[in-house]
Amino acid sequence: MQIVVFGLNHNTAPVEIREKLFLAESQVPQLLNTLRATGIEESAVISTCNRTEIYFCTRQADESLAAVKEILVNSFDIDRQVLEEYTYTLKDESSYKHLFLVASGLDSMVVGEPQILGQVKDAYRTATHNNTTGYLLNKLFHKTFNVAKRVRSETRIGYNPVSISSMAIELSKRIFGELHHRKVLVIGAGEMSEIALRYLKKEGLHEIFIINRTFGNAKKLAEDIAGIPYPFESMSDLLAQVDMVLTSTGAEKPLIDAGLILRIMKKRKNRPLFLVDIAVPRDVDPSVNNIENVYLYDIDDLKDLSQKHLSDRLKESERALEIIDMETANFSSWLRQSEKNPLIAFIIDKAEEVRVKEFKKTSQKLKNADEETLRNIEMLTRAIVKKLIHPHVALIKQDSDREIPEIIKRLFTLEEEDEKDLDNRDEGQ
Amino acid sequence: MNVFIFYSALFCYLLSALSYLVYLIYNKKTIERTGHYTLLAAFFIHLVSIIFRYLQAGHTPITNMFESLSFFAFCIAGFFLYLKTTYRINSLGCIVLPFISILLIWALVYPTDVKPLSPVLRSYWLPIHTIFSFLGNAIFFVSFLVSILYIIAEREIKKKKSFLFSARFPSLETLDSINYRCMSYGFPFLTVGIITGSIWAGFAWGSYWSWDPKETWSLITWIVYAILIHNRLAIGWRGRKTAYLMIAGFISILFTFLGVNLLIGGLHSYM
Repeated sequence: MQIVVFGLNHNTAPVEIREKLFLAESQVPQLLNTLRATGIEESAVISTCNRTEIYFCTRQADESLAAVKEILVNSFDIDRQVLEEYTYTLKDESSYKHLFLVASGLDSMVVGEPQILGQVKDAYRTATHNNTTGYLLNKLFHKTFNVAKRVRSETRIGYNPVSISSMAIELSKRIFGELHHRKVLVIGAGEMSEIALRYLKKEGLHEIFIINRTFGNAKKLAEDIAGIPYPFESMSDLLAQVDMVLTSTGAEKPLIDAGLILRIMKKRKNRPLFLVDIAVPRDVDPSVNNIENVYLYDIDDLKDLSQKHLSDRLKESERALEIIDMETANFSSWLRQSEKNPLIAFIIDKAEEVRVKEFKKTSQKLKNADEETLRNIEMLTRAIVKKLIHPHVALIKQDSDREIPEIIKRLFTLEEEDEKDLDNRDEGQ
Repeated sequence: MNVFIFYSALFCYLLSALSYLVYLIYNKKTIERTGHYTLLAAFFIHLVSIIFRYLQAGHTPITNMFESLSFFAFCIAGFFLYLKTTYRINSLGCIVLPFISILLIWALVYPTDVKPLSPVLRSYWLPIHTIFSFLGNAIFFVSFLVSILYIIAEREIKKKKSFLFSARFPSLETLDSINYRCMSYGFPFLTVGIITGSIWAGFAWGSYWSWDPKETWSLITWIVYAILIHNRLAIGWRGRKTAYLMIAGFISILFTFLGVNLLIGGLHSYM
């Protein structure tokens, strides 16, 4: 069996093509079922705003690949030539190395971004829920999660944030620690404020005040995303209350100067104040940073930091690549071993078949069980099966005597009859 | 036997210090847990060692350099354990624990044998005065370390260049809040320590205050911390200014404890 990946990403395709092939979470099961219908034995689909990738295992790579392309052309109304132009196909070692790179954040637009691992995990979960994974993809994805974890823990690839909003949040954590009970003032209701607001909301900040010269815009933004709108005139009062200020207005002269902040700091009894000024021209006079317990970062400071963090990440990515190369070689050798000895694949397949069958039977009986309980039961069955067959697999790997594998094979095939008996007995109970 | 227990405590402190240093590099929860449990073990063994010494000597074992340094380290460990339960300050272990270990190794430089108590120390004021004073000093020692960290981390954030310290250690507000807690606990202990010392002096030497170098330096220390508390509460001093004054206060404590004992002498020079 061959592992193949077919897909496109931000490096190979422009955004309009990526958008065309984007699959919403609800669309993935349908594609997985269509793939199964064409005879592809195992498959999983990763679809994010930057990539759509189909991982599959097949005995006839070329035929399956042609079938995959056909499905995409028909389902997404995309020109075949366009599809060929912007996509890539990777087979065998390069396919699973690619998955390792993707999950570790090395193939991301922002190197080392942590979200992608969660998206890969979601893709695998969807595939397992639709029963389109087997022993090969199961092994591959579990290995992938281990590799990504290793890369995260052994390198500092995702250590420092690189996006402006995430950096602002990270910096404020260094000043205030926990943020959820903190108060934030957003000055301006433009696009930048909107992006920042969404980020702040995601971080769990609830007390967000919004002010804007045009009160209506502040009100609209507050209604659309989150926050409490206030008239622009209340800026000084709000500055005395909040912990963090995010400003992004179109004002030509600074709105906040050192004099204002000095007066405010007296009212605040010197409680720390963190200002993030992402406006150009700047909304906050730079001399404000000289005041004690006041921390000001403007867009250039944040860009410089971002650049530095990015170059740190690129340095770290070299170490990450070494880990991935090592793990790719390990996985290749595991794969070769299981190919060299088809009996191992047979046993694993057989055990998996029994497991899935029994699990389905049980889950049908457990009508009141929620998704988490079922997932736990499934994990339990996997663990039991793995532990049960492990000694046999190990024995086959070690022993050159052909008789033992023959006995083991018989042990596993004979159960056809026994299983029926067992099933009957189960139902009788 | 007592020295063996002492060495066991030192070994556990060293293990804990090592765990916390490794934790700082790899940020693994299991390593932090190892550091925490070895610290608990060290603290307990250290307590046993102090009780043993008390039983052996028949008096509070804070009468010479070995005993004083050991008890001082014990108080620091106890206060750090208390702080750990209140704040998430695991990374501070990599600073506090090596210092505790150094103090214990330093203690071993001095004779460890139990000597008969000099007549002036034979008083029930001995445990009261020394325990309060040492607890106050230990609390201010922690605040001294926290203040150094605060200054480095704050500078990093202000300068906007690299984030080596601020990323690894608690946030500025947490460090400042620890400082405030140290101030509010350390100051009463220090005050009671000075008052009980004065009462004891009255009984022992017939005069409550004789401007002995140690007494004078204690008063200077007390004034530094009193200014600090006043400014914190009345003017809202916090952050960098508080950190600098905390450092000044501890330097004063250090001189009171070591400088006077080792350099100047005076009525307290029996150590």
